[in-house]
Amino acid sequence: MTAMRNLLLALAALGLSSARAEAQEIKVGGLFDLTGITSDVGKPYAQGAQDAVAWVNEHGGVNGKKIKLIAVDYGYKIPEAVSAYKRMVGDEKVIMINGWGTGDTLALKEFVNKDQIPYFSASFAGDLTDPSKTPYNFFCAPSYSDELRAWLSWVKEDWKGKGNAKVAFFYGDNPYGKAPMEAGRRFAKENGIDVVDEEIVPGNFQDATSQLLNMKQKGAEYAYINVTTTGVSLILKGAKALGLTTKFGSNPYGFSEQLPLVAKEAAEGVTGVVPHVPWGENVPGMKAMMDFHKAHHPNDTHDAMYVRGWTYVMVWSEALRRADKAGNLTGPGVKAAAETLRDFDTGGLTSHLTYTPTDHRPTTKTKVYMVKGGKLVFVKEYEMPRRADWLGL
Amino acid sequence: MRCGDFRQTYAADMAIFETSFARRLLLLFFAVLLVVPAFASSFWLDVLNRILIAVVAATGLNILTGFTGQISLGNAAFLAVGAYTTAVLAGRLGLPFPVVIPVAGVVTALVGMVFGVPSLRLKGLYLAVATLAAHFVIEFTITHWESMTGGVNGISVPAAQLGPLVLEGDRRLYYLALPLTAGLLLFAKNLFRTKVGKAFVAIRDQDISAEVMGVHVFRYKLLSFGVSSFYVGVAGALLGYQARIISPENFPITLAIDYLGMIIIGGMGSILGSIFGAVFITLLPELLRLAVGPLSSSFPQLTTLFASLKMGVFGLAIVLFLVFEPDGMAARWHTIKNYWKLYPFSY
Amino acid sequence: MEFLLQLVISGLVVGSIYSLVGLGFVIIYKSSSILNFAQGEFLMLGAYVCLAIFATHRVPFLAAFALTLLFSVLLGVLMERVLLRPMIGEPVISVIMLTLGLASVLRAVVQGFWGTDTRPYPEIFPTTPVRIGPLPVSQGYLYSVASVVLLLALFSVFFKYSRAGIAMRATAFSQQVALSMGISVKRIFALAWSIAAVVSAVGGVLLGGIRGGVDGAFALFGLKVIPVVILGGLDSVAGAIVGGLIMGVLENLAGGYLDPLLGGGVKEVAPFIALVAILAVKPYGLFGKVKIERV
Repeated sequence: MTAMRNLLLALAALGLSSARAEAQEIKVGGLFDLTGITSDVGKPYAQGAQDAVAWVNEHGGVNGKKIKLIAVDYGYKIPEAVSAYKRMVGDEKVIMINGWGTGDTLALKEFVNKDQIPYFSASFAGDLTDPSKTPYNFFCAPSYSDELRAWLSWVKEDWKGKGNAKVAFFYGDNPYGKAPMEAGRRFAKENGIDVVDEEIVPGNFQDATSQLLNMKQKGAEYAYINVTTTGVSLILKGAKALGLTTKFGSNPYGFSEQLPLVAKEAAEGVTGVVPHVPWGENVPGMKAMMDFHKAHHPNDTHDAMYVRGWTYVMVWSEALRRADKAGNLTGPGVKAAAETLRDFDTGGLTSHLTYTPTDHRPTTKTKVYMVKGGKLVFVKEYEMPRRADWLGL
Repeated sequence: MRCGDFRQTYAADMAIFETSFARRLLLLFFAVLLVVPAFASSFWLDVLNRILIAVVAATGLNILTGFTGQISLGNAAFLAVGAYTTAVLAGRLGLPFPVVIPVAGVVTALVGMVFGVPSLRLKGLYLAVATLAAHFVIEFTITHWESMTGGVNGISVPAAQLGPLVLEGDRRLYYLALPLTAGLLLFAKNLFRTKVGKAFVAIRDQDISAEVMGVHVFRYKLLSFGVSSFYVGVAGALLGYQARIISPENFPITLAIDYLGMIIIGGMGSILGSIFGAVFITLLPELLRLAVGPLSSSFPQLTTLFASLKMGVFGLAIVLFLVFEPDGMAARWHTIKNYWKLYPFSY
Repeated sequence: MEFLLQLVISGLVVGSIYSLVGLGFVIIYKSSSILNFAQGEFLMLGAYVCLAIFATHRVPFLAAFALTLLFSVLLGVLMERVLLRPMIGEPVISVIMLTLGLASVLRAVVQGFWGTDTRPYPEIFPTTPVRIGPLPVSQGYLYSVASVVLLLALFSVFFKYSRAGIAMRATAFSQQVALSMGISVKRIFALAWSIAAVVSAVGGVLLGGIRGGVDGAFALFGLKVIPVVILGGLDSVAGAIVGGLIMGVLENLAGGYLDPLLGGGVKEVAPFIALVAILAVKPYGLFGKVKIERV
């Protein structure tokens, strides 16, 4: 039996060569999409996060301790995410996780609650903001719901015609696509905007012609697209081919420097919400990124998704630092430390972030940008009130 | 060790275990499996459970495809039916697992038989195509029947429970899945010693001759769909209990192809083959991950390549087996066993 | 009315691509009774290869396209020679699984070489839409429909008048008779696979041009085309063309009229619901040869 045991131990050790970690290492799980349907934005995000971890480790780490990011590609599949989560928490003993999509984050919310693993998701779903339901879920941006509210506010200001502005929603047939829609419907109703049409596109769609024709039929003047960049570009190109004059807006995962590159002239005049600044923006926090970029991969091009991944690490590494200082480098310790962040400044990479034990809405400020001449140009920042009935919506 | 055997009675010829030594060996193996969880890490427990689930599902598919000759591309959808039934029965009604698992099996069997009706008219390619359609229809139903299934957001499944006994976590679930799998395998093995099983095989070999011999072809085809789907439904129930949250993404069409791959690689028309195939296909990505893992720190692009590597190796395994060993691992196993049986005097 | 017309037109365009892939299916099935589940992967591979030749080697687009077709011919011959020949006489399930395994390998190769991002496609067709009556129609659409018509005409002539075409028909009719007439059935099989790869590659390049990009989702056309060939009849070239166009339109109409009612996804599942209906009513399709057999 000892032979059996040794064999199994050897196998386990082989699989988890990282398990032989030194004491001075903090293990963090990284759940990324590098090959799935959101890999167009998932890859730059993952690179940003990994580079930021390297940068933090180069610059003193977490009070001298190094962060070890255990990165897994889960292909935007919930079952893969659950399996990777079990591996990270059960075997690797990570103390927190940097996650990705809405579907998998919602699927894992009961697990992270039970295992007490702080979970920073790249999904900004409003459902994750109420600590009485999801105490271990965090994100570092205005919620999808607040972003949609901000965009609708822009529509209201932009609309010069008679009567109410007519808006359509385009979204993917997945939890990410559907996340802010209820909030959007209610906000539109309260603010005299008519949601005339909702079009659902499948996860891996190739052609949105019938949806666009439907939208045209309903007479929408504005449309908010809630899919990733590739999908946004397909819809914009389809609209151009049909000669539509609808003004399109995009969610933060469909709108970056990549959009004008892929959609070309069809992207002109499109608005989008930008919670994390575009690459190269003139803010103090960009300097570290630029230095790292010059030192390690000067020829790569980066975008707002890369900045987002980087920003996330800046936020949670600060939480780790505070937890470590408090001598409580555990899941609950990191959660408590994150909830001490008040108006935390990432050097302008995103708005100031605040987490409290009763409210995980880090910020309610959203910047709206527009594509002009192939560049992203800042239009206006909108701040939503912290209404109690919007918590968790 | 055993060597060439000499059978004097029909009973001996029909026996599952040719010698008592084989039976004892199997019991020993079962005992080893019982103690494995004491040494396995939580990750390997997860893998073990997934293997057991795959064994049950592959055996079910083998009954239909390998033994009865009816090709089904709908087994991922049938698995979903079992899993969602479990989610509803255990989650909404709070029923204990001894009720949930058989009911999940029976519900899936009924659904399977409904989609088996086309086999009345269709065979071969056309049946494959019809079951492919069944997959998409079931998937669509699950995605859109949100009040029942939770739609694309998925639905959570409570841990398997019976009164005070709650099978939370992979370790405890393993002790439910292992005996269940063993029992189902024994049943399947016995099935093909009975009239029903022989009728299945007769239909596979020549449906017209089977009819001539008095086998009611349609009835037995439906029965085969039923039995097979029952197995797949039970596997679905276990999958639900293991994953704890299920969504349509758990049951893509590629999963149906994976299961077909299992029985092709393991060996069609062989219970042992289903086991080999299920173990092989489930372990393949994990072993690849082990092999690639240490390298990926020095070659970060491997993380991206891993998904395609997994897909490529899977496809390649199927192609190579079909070209070089069409009867699968089970046949190779027998060849090897027979070689050693008479070693060193094999001819 | 305009809405309906728009749906029909864009349906016909997607349908014409279905027709091309369906044509490949049918040609292989007709000559060798193999249902090729890797047909969608041939389409994807064709699109990627053409892009790779064009973008990395700076050759004119038409030359790149011609090279892609040549590549497809070789691919078809290779597939037949290495993989399909050992499968002659094996049960249906083995052959189906072989093409599924092959599909998996091809997808892995494409993903390994080109990743999962959508690759932008060169602008083959002018982007300004032309107006047919009141409707703006993208030029890529017209080219795509035109090339399908052209290919159909070519194949009709090929099967009717060329030696190889007649030999293929003879093989489809009876392999033994064909053999006894001195036709090399092996060569016919290789020819069938080459033609299938070529028409799929044409479909892939057209689709890349229309969509303006290529990604792994192109492979899904392989599954989508199954209802098409069943509708047209598995062994009918004309059936594949007509079936493709009908399915394209049906899918778009379902998307246009039913999706808003049922909350999306109807467009994707409609061909398969149609498939079940066809199998129940007319399993050999519109133009398929009716084989009477008691099951």
